[in-house]
Amino acid sequence: MKRLVLTLVIVSCVTVGIGYAGAFFPGGEPSWSPWCLAIGTNGALMSLMALGAMRRGSLPCTLVLTFVGMFLLCAGAFVAALALPANEGVGGALLLGLPLRTAIVLYGVGVVPIFILPFSYALTFDSNTLSDGDLERVRAAHAEFVRRAGTEL
Amino acid sequence: MIALLQSSLPTLTQPKIVGVALVYFAIVAVIATWATRRTKNANDFFVAGAGIGLWTLAIAKMAATLSGFAFIGGPGLVYTIGIGAVFIILPGAISNALGAWVLAKKMRLLGEVRGLITVPDAIGARYRSRAAQGLSAVGILIAVVGYMATNLLALGLVIDAIFGTGLGAGIWIGTAIILTYSVAGGILAGIYTDVFQGSVMAIASAVVFFFALKSGGGMDHLSQTIMQADAKYLGPWGTIGPVAAISFFFVFGVGSLGQPHVIHKFYMLKDPRQLKWYPLLMTVALAVTQLLYVSVGVAMKGLVVDGALLPLVKADQATPTFLLHYTPTLVAGLVFSGVAAAIMATVNSFMSVGAAALTHDLPVAFGHRVTNELRLGRISTVVLAVIAAGVAQVSGTLVAFLGIFGWGLFASTTVPALAIGLNWSGATRAGAIASIATGLGITLAGETLAYFKVYSLPTGLSVSGLSLITSLLVFFAVSRLTSATAAGQIDPDIKLVMEV
Repeated sequence: MKRLVLTLVIVSCVTVGIGYAGAFFPGGEPSWSPWCLAIGTNGALMSLMALGAMRRGSLPCTLVLTFVGMFLLCAGAFVAALALPANEGVGGALLLGLPLRTAIVLYGVGVVPIFILPFSYALTFDSNTLSDGDLERVRAAHAEFVRRAGTEL
Repeated sequence: MIALLQSSLPTLTQPKIVGVALVYFAIVAVIATWATRRTKNANDFFVAGAGIGLWTLAIAKMAATLSGFAFIGGPGLVYTIGIGAVFIILPGAISNALGAWVLAKKMRLLGEVRGLITVPDAIGARYRSRAAQGLSAVGILIAVVGYMATNLLALGLVIDAIFGTGLGAGIWIGTAIILTYSVAGGILAGIYTDVFQGSVMAIASAVVFFFALKSGGGMDHLSQTIMQADAKYLGPWGTIGPVAAISFFFVFGVGSLGQPHVIHKFYMLKDPRQLKWYPLLMTVALAVTQLLYVSVGVAMKGLVVDGALLPLVKADQATPTFLLHYTPTLVAGLVFSGVAAAIMATVNSFMSVGAAALTHDLPVAFGHRVTNELRLGRISTVVLAVIAAGVAQVSGTLVAFLGIFGWGLFASTTVPALAIGLNWSGATRAGAIASIATGLGITLAGETLAYFKVYSLPTGLSVSGLSLITSLLVFFAVSRLTSATAAGQIDPDIKLVMEV
């Protein structure tokens, strides 16, 4: 699974790179350039989180669902804003005080993740991030490091 | 921040504002004195003795993350380009959880297993490479001086506006105040003043948010007013278009993993198990403190469109003008203290990171170890601050140029080698060095060419974004090409930290 996640990080970065490269085209950026940036950036963010959350090459199912869901939400919000027709003029529809496309991006990317990601981290912390046993192993490694350094001196 | 540097602020020398500011500086002095007495050695000076709690960590990191830009330049940018400017702070909903999963535990455990105190330390230990550590320290030093100069100039402007000292005196008074507690108490004093300063920033921002909505007649009314005059302003990308807006999101999202003045604070947490609630606390603190950023810019646009105010001559006057017209004087005083707080907290963190690069990382890179790091750390802090203040005073617009590339330089030289390197055992020393060199080269060359108008990137592209993505791709490519060497470059204790 680690290989897959790492591949996703690289593919996401390449996608961002392609998006940037498009901006150098003569005559202005092609229409696919912002799409590449939107999908690549969100892919990079979510796959990096997955890479960091991996333990011994695997991820718990809840975190897989969290990261996939967050990617679909955030990338989907950007894509929706790119794909929907502009309707921000006089009489345009408002959602929670903002024009529809803007609301989709700001609430979808800027607000919803606040209620999901920190709680996913906290709720999986003991089982997946750091246990007492992990700390003991690290402290034993520290003692070994100090002993070895003392011996070398 | 850059906008703040381009013109002076309106004069704020009113008794209540001066009074609030004086009370604020007095409280900072008391906290700093208390914290200074607890600074006994280099470990206290650079990583607060690895003994701070979760709340302290979260608020101090928030205070260090936000500079004066969040209060002055940012709202001005929102006033000018609309929603596009929000993409700078939008990743805040994600980036703290990202930092927690990718870096927090590993950085803290590196401190536990090796007693590391700096970001270049971690890079050096990960790749068993003094060259990588030294190169990373060079990148940090260059960015730190630029960032500090930018922030000290901004602080000089704020002090001049409140106390009428004149800009030059304002810069040196501000520098002296920060130096007093930074030299004596190092990051330990900085951390505890940050907690106070961060609280001031959060309260100021939340209070102003409600005044902003009230002044515009609520969000619905504000939106309808603005949409009648400028449809693109409140569109999803503002007036800058999707490529520029999403590029902001990329640079400030992925780039958040490479800010040494923020991530080195992970070393300081007393109990690593407290990291459990770190993303929640940090995300909420950041979200509250950024309310002013969005609301004041949009409210000012609405008020100008409505005819209640004349168009601003300079965008960075959005916050001062709003505060002086639409909030009680005491609130204005609180916010201006918040601006000073944001700048001082950021500068203190830069001083610590820069002094550590000078006294710890560079000597280690050359195979030496300084015997009295505490003393030399204090001297380095003074030297760096004096250089930065001098640059701020004499170089005019050059200082804005120096500040521009700070974030991008940090991101492109640190994200691949550190954030990905600590999570991928296939990363190699050659890949790390190549990515740091690439980030340094592209950022310095690109920003210099742009500053002197020799070459500018296509509209919407930033040098920061280009250097970050290029350094990432170079890191993957070179690591892949040199993959045969990867396994032998990780010490067993470092491998353990990467795996637990």
